[in-house]
Amino acid sequence: MSTENPSPLPSSDAPPSGFKNPPPEKPSDIRRRGYVILSFWLIVALLGLPIWWKTTSIYRADLPLQEMLDWSDGKACRPVFPLRISIQANSLQDQEAQNLLRLTQHALDDLNDFAGHHLRLQLSPPVGDEPVRATDNGSALTIRLSPGEATTATLDPYEPILDITYPPNNIPSPTASSSALATYIASQLRSTFAEEQATISYLLSTNSMPSEHRPLGLSPESAESLAKRTTRSLKYAPTYHLTFSLFTSGPLPSSWDVEAAIEEYMKPVLDVLSPIHNFTIDTQVQLYAAPGVQNDLLYKQDLSSFINAAEWPLSPSIGGAPTINFIVFVGNQTIVTSPETESGGSQSWLIPQWGTVYLLAQPYDTTHVSVETLKQPMLTFTSHLFSLLGTPQSGSLPLRLSTLTRIRSADLLLRASSTLGSLARLALALPSISIPSSVADGVSKTMYHLRLACDTLGGADGLAHARVAEAEAERAFFEKSMVGQLFFPDEHKIAVYLPLLGPVAVPLIMGAINEFKAWRKRRRERAEKGAEKKKE
Amino acid sequence: MRQFLSFFLVSLISFCTLSTCAESPTSSADYHEQLVLRPLPLSALLASFNFRSNITVSEFEAHNFRLFPRSLAQILQHAGTRELHLRFSSGRWDSESWGARPWDGAREGGTGVELWAWLEAETDDEADHKWLTLTNALSGLFCASLNFIDGTRTTRPVMSFQPEGDHPSLTEANTHLLFGVLPHEVVCTENLTPFLKLLPCKGKAGIASLLDGHKLFDSSWQSMAVDVRPICPAGGECVLQIELTIDMVLDIDRSKRPRDNPIPRPPPGHELPCNTSKPYHSHDTCFPADHEASQDWTLSQIFGKHMKGTCPLTDPAVPPVCLQVPNSRSVYVSDGVLEKKNLDRVSRCFEIRPDANFEMVLPSPSKDDQQATSLIVKPEAPLLYAERSFTGHGQERGGVQTILRNPSSDTEVEFIYMESLPWFMRIYLHTMSARIQGTKGDDNSVIQEVYYRPGVDRARGSQLEVRMRIPPASTVFLTYDFEKSILRYTEYPPDANRGFDVAAAVITILNKDEPKTGRFAAYNLRTTSLLCSLPTPDFSMPYNVIIFTSTAIALAFGGMFNIMVRRFVAADEGPELGLKLLKTKLKSRFAALFKKFGVGKAKGDQTKEAEPQPAVTE
Repeated sequence: MSTENPSPLPSSDAPPSGFKNPPPEKPSDIRRRGYVILSFWLIVALLGLPIWWKTTSIYRADLPLQEMLDWSDGKACRPVFPLRISIQANSLQDQEAQNLLRLTQHALDDLNDFAGHHLRLQLSPPVGDEPVRATDNGSALTIRLSPGEATTATLDPYEPILDITYPPNNIPSPTASSSALATYIASQLRSTFAEEQATISYLLSTNSMPSEHRPLGLSPESAESLAKRTTRSLKYAPTYHLTFSLFTSGPLPSSWDVEAAIEEYMKPVLDVLSPIHNFTIDTQVQLYAAPGVQNDLLYKQDLSSFINAAEWPLSPSIGGAPTINFIVFVGNQTIVTSPETESGGSQSWLIPQWGTVYLLAQPYDTTHVSVETLKQPMLTFTSHLFSLLGTPQSGSLPLRLSTLTRIRSADLLLRASSTLGSLARLALALPSISIPSSVADGVSKTMYHLRLACDTLGGADGLAHARVAEAEAERAFFEKSMVGQLFFPDEHKIAVYLPLLGPVAVPLIMGAINEFKAWRKRRRERAEKGAEKKKE
Repeated sequence: MRQFLSFFLVSLISFCTLSTCAESPTSSADYHEQLVLRPLPLSALLASFNFRSNITVSEFEAHNFRLFPRSLAQILQHAGTRELHLRFSSGRWDSESWGARPWDGAREGGTGVELWAWLEAETDDEADHKWLTLTNALSGLFCASLNFIDGTRTTRPVMSFQPEGDHPSLTEANTHLLFGVLPHEVVCTENLTPFLKLLPCKGKAGIASLLDGHKLFDSSWQSMAVDVRPICPAGGECVLQIELTIDMVLDIDRSKRPRDNPIPRPPPGHELPCNTSKPYHSHDTCFPADHEASQDWTLSQIFGKHMKGTCPLTDPAVPPVCLQVPNSRSVYVSDGVLEKKNLDRVSRCFEIRPDANFEMVLPSPSKDDQQATSLIVKPEAPLLYAERSFTGHGQERGGVQTILRNPSSDTEVEFIYMESLPWFMRIYLHTMSARIQGTKGDDNSVIQEVYYRPGVDRARGSQLEVRMRIPPASTVFLTYDFEKSILRYTEYPPDANRGFDVAAAVITILNKDEPKTGRFAAYNLRTTSLLCSLPTPDFSMPYNVIIFTSTAIALAFGGMFNIMVRRFVAADEGPELGLKLLKTKLKSRFAALFKKFGVGKAKGDQTKEAEPQPAVTE
């Protein structure tokens, strides 16, 4: 504004209406004012800010973020399941057996396209005729070779043993580079472990493993069926709680021989599963339990709403073990599987990760359900229990169980790794969340056990370590003080800070600006004076 | 109330004599249910629902549940509970007009929720831990805020409670009695629904089909009770018994109101029940007739629905419905129902077919009956009347006065008075005194024994148990003073100005012939709960404090800073300030504006404007 120039500069014209200029300031005063303002700012910057920072900062324990991300990306561990398969060939000479083993291993390696699942053959010392226990030497399967008339292969139903017979003339000569028998054994082995391999490779592929570890051959159909099966199975837990319930829509029947039925049809299976899972059991009878669907014909879409969750007392057990529900519903409903066949043959259905419902048709006046009547439901429950636990479907029972161990360890390992990754990403994404030291503890424990689990994959130790790792990772992720972090919105902070900082900051900033302006003016004046002097 | 029980026995015995009595009254039948209806004075009706089922201990331990609810059993097993008593109550039992309480007061609690249990634990800490598990699990099961029963609301009564069941395997050392109470809890339909789920026949058949949240929680007083106790008959296997009880006092007039038109309206003049015996009775004056006259109702009227048969699991030896009216009154029932009048002449029971709906009509008494002695059974007087109230004024101190009256003219009562007070009520125990009025009693002999456990701030409430003895026909005033403490800002509930509920005092009248009957308490009663108002702060206080202190600091800082930084000059030496500066600024602006636009238009204006501002001209 050139029109107004009220500043009392000594160089300007005479001021109007008796306006006087103050006397010039002493340089020491000017300097002192500069010091005052500077010291205030120094106090704010060196004392105030650190105290504020210190008192409002949130404790964040150091997490090995990069390592955690490595685990979740699969860079830290390459899951490898070395499966040892011992060959027992009592009738072969050592030389011949070695040769056969070498050829078979060759054939296997040629067939195998998935590095994570590796079958390694070994020769077990020839023993007598007594059955060899597979667990003795840590091998997953024993192949028992015996001479016979034709080439046949049978899985022993009770032991992890594959019996292979061969015509004596099929023994490969020491110089042969290939042999029909070796190829046959290799393909038998491969088909035995095909499902396990597919499952593990599916697990790996769904868990963001880097592509080089991924197997190639997984057709969309098999992937879909595997996906179905994995979503069906429950999360791994050391203990499961089984609840057997008898529901009727009317007053009858009001009692059942469930204890005897479980003892007879279910207990043997539970005993077999006991190395992997523990089970607790309870039973109940509920009368007047109306289903969620009142129709007599149940179509596929009705099945999901059949369970009347609001009225049926199916509360999960309170011990922390996941509950599997097995429901026998006494009623005359029939399931219509397809629109063409009105009388469906099926009487039960499986509810993924929850349990099974079995429709039991009984005469109107039955008061008591006997053991014989419960046989079919119990057998259905048993087979559904396997799929709820995620057991593979093919192979003999011991083989299926050992496969279950390996699948579960891989699953737990991947789960724990991905939890670690989520925790790391959470810590990165929310800079204002506090991380207590217990989380860091949990993370280090998880990684320790993950490392051990990764090194001993495939064995019982691996499962135990993976279990611990998973539990620790979950605990670290769901740490209470982290989840329940008090959140102060920014408006709240402004409301608290502004009444103090506003009035204090305004004079400070204005003082600093004025001082800066005055300093610039003084410098300009000095420069002008210097120039004038030079001109003169 | 003894009458009530004796009636029960009599009814059983009479039934046994009539029919083929297969089982003894204390039968091992696993389940029975019974509804007892008792008209009370002032047009009230007491309905007592009782459901009892048993499970043998071996089946309980094998987790095979048939009649015993699995959800509750799991909780009991998980929390190591040996005996459990849970009460949900609301309303007030008017003992002045209704007399003694049902079940001798053993199946009721104070307003809100009450829970006491015997837990098996080695140490106190373990018991506390199990108690926490139990309250949290029950809170989920019954949709009640039982999880708020924390250390401050839990006490360990010493004298007031004794286990009801038989505990052969337990010793004193590893059994812990814990008592928790939530007086603030509002009992409502969400608590009834899980309650009904515990019954074998749900609410679908039997007397439970009459239960309806609308009627139950509309009643003048109601109490829902869950009792689990082990019972070991001599020579038999121990059973775990669960007893579910619902007692409610219905206001008949209110219950009979149609559901679609529930607004009370005065009846038209010709329908008013008038006492015609008054001399001034005419067509336009009416003296209201006695309330007892309105004791005419039907079952479906007062409960809003029909009773659907009987539960097929129930013990056939126990009649499902009983009514306590004098035998002289006539009662109409639906077809196929067998009416049996009991020998005590004041009650009758009904045998019901399992599949038929049951309906009962209590007609209004005929004119002759009205002259007869009584239309309803006269209520029995309770052993003790108790009322409790706050005394004193102000927000700092207060007092509690309990008036205990022994109505009996010849027997004295001995009882235990228990208070569990919140920690913010600090008792001055030395001020506790008992003043006796009535007979020539001695004040000092009233209080026999005192057990007091002082509260700890924010950790434990105070517990006071007093054993007292009141001579016949006298009244005792028990008073004590207390101090109200100030809570922390975050400890106040959202409705702090409403006040803080103080749990009901529990009064247990000791049974004089305990060795004979085996019952510890002859009668139980609870006082009403109290509402204690504490000094309540203004809850915007923190912000006010922030603003105040900030302003003060800012003022001090600004002044100091300016004194240190500003340069002081004479008034006429400084730059123009304030209004003057504004004026000159405005003038210069206007002048500039006019120069730009109004040069040709308004010369005169311009000269007029420009004249008095010499500072602007250059």
